[in-house]
Amino acid sequence: MGTTVGGARNGCPQGVVVLILGIETATEQISVAIGGHEGVIGLFEVARGRRHVEMLMPGVEFLCQQTDIEITEIGCIAVDVGPGLFTGMRVGLAAAKALAQALHLPMVGISSLDLLAFPLRYSDRLIAAVIDARRGELFYALYLQVPGGVQRVSELRAARCEDLTADLVARGGEVVCVGDGALRYRDEILDEVRVEFAEQFLSHPSAAPLVTLAHAKALREDWVNPWELQPMYLRKPDAQINWAVRDGGSPAVSRP
Amino acid sequence: MTHTFRTSLLASELRERPVVGPDTVVLGIETSCDETAASLVMGGNDVLSSVVSSQIDLHAQYGGVVPEIASRAHLETLNPVIARAIVEAGIDESRIEAVAVTIGPGLIGALLVGVSAAKALSVAWNKPLVGVNHLEAHLYAAFIEDPSLELPLVVLLVSGGHTMLVEMVDHGRYRLLGQTVDDAAGEAFDKVARFLGLGYPGGPLIDHEATLGDPTAIRFPRAMLHDGLNFSFSGLKTSVVNHIRQHPDASTADVAASFQQAVVDVLVAKTVRAADQIGARGIVLGGGVSANSQLRTAFQQAGHDAGIRSFLPTMAMCTDNAAMIASAGWYRLRSDGPTSLSAPASPNLRLPLLGAG
Repeated sequence: MGTTVGGARNGCPQGVVVLILGIETATEQISVAIGGHEGVIGLFEVARGRRHVEMLMPGVEFLCQQTDIEITEIGCIAVDVGPGLFTGMRVGLAAAKALAQALHLPMVGISSLDLLAFPLRYSDRLIAAVIDARRGELFYALYLQVPGGVQRVSELRAARCEDLTADLVARGGEVVCVGDGALRYRDEILDEVRVEFAEQFLSHPSAAPLVTLAHAKALREDWVNPWELQPMYLRKPDAQINWAVRDGGSPAVSRP
Repeated sequence: MTHTFRTSLLASELRERPVVGPDTVVLGIETSCDETAASLVMGGNDVLSSVVSSQIDLHAQYGGVVPEIASRAHLETLNPVIARAIVEAGIDESRIEAVAVTIGPGLIGALLVGVSAAKALSVAWNKPLVGVNHLEAHLYAAFIEDPSLELPLVVLLVSGGHTMLVEMVDHGRYRLLGQTVDDAAGEAFDKVARFLGLGYPGGPLIDHEATLGDPTAIRFPRAMLHDGLNFSFSGLKTSVVNHIRQHPDASTADVAASFQQAVVDVLVAKTVRAADQIGARGIVLGGGVSANSQLRTAFQQAGHDAGIRSFLPTMAMCTDNAAMIASAGWYRLRSDGPTSLSAPASPNLRLPLLGAG
């Protein structure tokens, strides 16, 4: 609650050169960026195919090649820690952690919902960042503009669409919704509350805001080592949910 | 500074094919099911370290492996397991010449954690990636422990997901001699153990219970015993269920022992027959079920009686481990070269067989 996202311009040391590789795979898009004190230097994004493990490392290699940066010049690995689609999200997390381990680098983890909200920081509306969690659910969080960034004013939640609209109605005021979850449930949201929707090209978390936000954190040395990084699932594994509500009949498989 | 758009190949594609020799150290990574494992192996069979983190306790209450729980645990455990494998090997990580990883078969979400991490290590260290077939790696478990094994061999591969008889003609060249037409042997153990109320995992629990019972107490069917080299275990499972329904007072230990004897009889008889048919130089046991004590005893005895060399892997090599991945990776890198960084994980990957399309 009340977490500020951004604020890079406020009292950061200048001239410290740290190159950041950002990896983001929490939704159907994969996104890789390299950036630092001069901003985003390169960005590689593909939003169709759901071939995360096939595209991610070739994407990293391609980006390094085009930006003329050796992977060994990278000083920090940033990664989207979710919430998002579990399987895809883990592809990015596993790669980011392994890169940090092999290159002996610190890591910065940033939430997918923070990444959706940050590019909308010039709006004075309430920002609802909403990711499609599948199975009729959404992951969402609410943000307000603050100087240089946005501030999260709700918990990160896994909820149904009606929970989101009830939350927005209760808070009142003008709202802008962003994310693939907002676009998927556009009609259901508009049935309950009047909101604006951000552009489709902002609807997946991107590695561009990831490296921007991570750079600010890296300058403050606000980082973790690879085994301290915690993904945000916001939902228990199915078996644990099922186990809690019924006995017998488990979804488990035999060990091959 | 002028920038030109580079249309040339990526670094991983430009790298020269590595020389693979007796000093080549391969890091193996295994995350296909419920063990997170990493290992350093030199020259294909010198195991410098082998670290396995088992998740059995996490899954036991569900009576089987829960894919999402397995995937989460792999992500959490893999980095420390790799770090420990490097430390225990006692060599600098710069000595690692290739990264081998299980690309299938297995649980897709679990496989992806290992494959994604292995690709990242490959890029970070600028060393080749080698995708390994998990089933093929089980065949290599025998070679790690006994490099003197002579080909051709008949391998009985028995686990929770597979039951097959494979002729290993040469390295990388296999012929399928027989396989289960329904349940895998390990699956039958799990189901019968669940039905008997013994718990999970079924293999070791039935193995233990059987030591208290009489394997000749109940005559369960030996399906397809004299019929080719394929297996069937679903009828046996049904017979066990029917027997207990008709004899509610039957001793659990006798049922477990008699069931296990029926499975072992068929597995061993068909292995020996297969070896006889192809003129094999030896018979080899592999896969998780090869930890079963009755199977090990009977397998060795049958080899002795038939005058054919038998090989039993140690317990550590029966279950999933990364030493066999690194070993198979060494052979694969030597014969076929590196795997592309854009390779997928393949949950239904099959053993590459001779004569198969």
